[in-house]
Amino acid sequence: MSPGSATQAVRRSLDRIAATDARVNAFTALLAERATARAQRLDREGAEGPLAGVPFAVKNLFDIAGLTTLAGSKIERGAPPAAQDALLLRRLEAAGAVLVGALNMDEYAYGFTTENTHHGATRNPHDLARISGGSSGGSAAAVAADQVPLSLGSDTNGSIRVPAGLCGVFGLKPTFGRLPRTGSYPFVASLDHLGPMARSVRLLAQAYDAMQGPDAADPACVPRPVEPTAGTLDRGGEGLRVGVLQGWFTEQAGDAARAAVQRVAQALGATQPVHWPEVERARAAAFLITNAEGAALHLSDLRTRAQDFEPLSRDRFLAGALLPAAWITQAQRLRRWFAREVAASFRGVDLVLAPATPCTAPPIGTEWLEIAGQRLPARASMGLLTQPVSCIGLPVVTVPVWGCDPAAPHLPIGVQLIAPPWREAWCLRAARALEQLGVAQAPVARIDTPTPAALAAAGAPDVR
Amino acid sequence: MDFDQYAEQAAAAVALPLAPGHRPGVVLYLRLAAAMAAQVDGLALGRDDEAATVFVPVAPEDLPETAA
Repeated sequence: MSPGSATQAVRRSLDRIAATDARVNAFTALLAERATARAQRLDREGAEGPLAGVPFAVKNLFDIAGLTTLAGSKIERGAPPAAQDALLLRRLEAAGAVLVGALNMDEYAYGFTTENTHHGATRNPHDLARISGGSSGGSAAAVAADQVPLSLGSDTNGSIRVPAGLCGVFGLKPTFGRLPRTGSYPFVASLDHLGPMARSVRLLAQAYDAMQGPDAADPACVPRPVEPTAGTLDRGGEGLRVGVLQGWFTEQAGDAARAAVQRVAQALGATQPVHWPEVERARAAAFLITNAEGAALHLSDLRTRAQDFEPLSRDRFLAGALLPAAWITQAQRLRRWFAREVAASFRGVDLVLAPATPCTAPPIGTEWLEIAGQRLPARASMGLLTQPVSCIGLPVVTVPVWGCDPAAPHLPIGVQLIAPPWREAWCLRAARALEQLGVAQAPVARIDTPTPAALAAAGAPDVR
Repeated sequence: MDFDQYAEQAAAAVALPLAPGHRPGVVLYLRLAAAMAAQVDGLALGRDDEAATVFVPVAPEDLPETAA
């Protein structure tokens, strides 16, 4: 690290946020004073390491000492401030990174669009009239807009992979149980994952490596040793057998999504079709577990102040509180069955490909989508292709591919690189190979100002 | 199944008041959840298909310092 570089990096990040965030609306809190002081200290101490002086920001469901953890809600505004940073923030800062702020999200992570009624929609930096995806929309948009080079999000049913793909950045959802969730606001403990987003695969891997390691405070966190990945990236896709998921993953994908997978498959030499059984039922299981467990977490507030919930998810939460126990237990049993079946399918292949979303980012306010000849509700359908994968906790890197949608050639779409449990390194190596080949990349968004007519046509809510 | 009636009875069972304005949405999502449950129920599961929820015992040393 050169003298003064942490201070310069943080200054640059804060300046970029000041210049762009009125249009993007990614940030809900800035920590300018804390970040500047910390960067100055790092410079004084001559901090070293791949993350030294790297500014980062986190979805506002991570605890930040002195701030109230909002989890995208209005309800939590009255909660006391967090006493300390979430564990993953502490680990990143111990490696030299500098936290600069908190980021917008769907309320309580229940959504795929970050059309947050309380804080305004986070706009896609590559087309401000469109959604950023969600629920970690602020995390993806902040990286795409070059406000920070690195961010953290959470992924229960697709909330890292969907926005990373729609905003054109790299995202990693590690294996369920790999990274501890200590100090983050839960959504569905059975399915919640945390992970990073970045504009380069190397930084993604370095951040992931710095966050690895068990923690007994998270009962889902598996006590595995740290398995560093950054040093393996240069091996690329060498020796990896890559397949392409069929069935549900092509049937629920539009032309742009299928084209993106085809491009990645060609680059990685993937020819083998792979069939997972009963994917639609697995997606249904994830839906039910999410609905019931999420609602149970908020039952007290649903009883006393339902009107204060996000209108886009309130009725889903209320319904989730009423589901029969047998539905949920059967869903958890099916999940185990599906995990075994998919494990068997990995005997012949190391990595499988699938689109991250059925289509590129729709305009803000879109209610219905036409996907492969079906009319589907837009908000829930953005997770159709990610939900069956997180249901069984597999590690995934989402890579952004461009120019696949003739109707919107300026927009990216994500492709999921999916590995067996604990093989994050394979996903990252393949992602690095695609980055080097230029098949996947994460350019800085130009942040054009949309015309008022474009915003009105999109039904976009006013920001702030 | 009468989802409106189910919503009323199930809400009473968990002491959850349902505002009239929220009820149509709740019924809509109950219908959707029922369709998902039918999907799940359509697969025959066996004795060894244990639920994917495992309890982890908590030892005193696992507690955070503030709770010890």
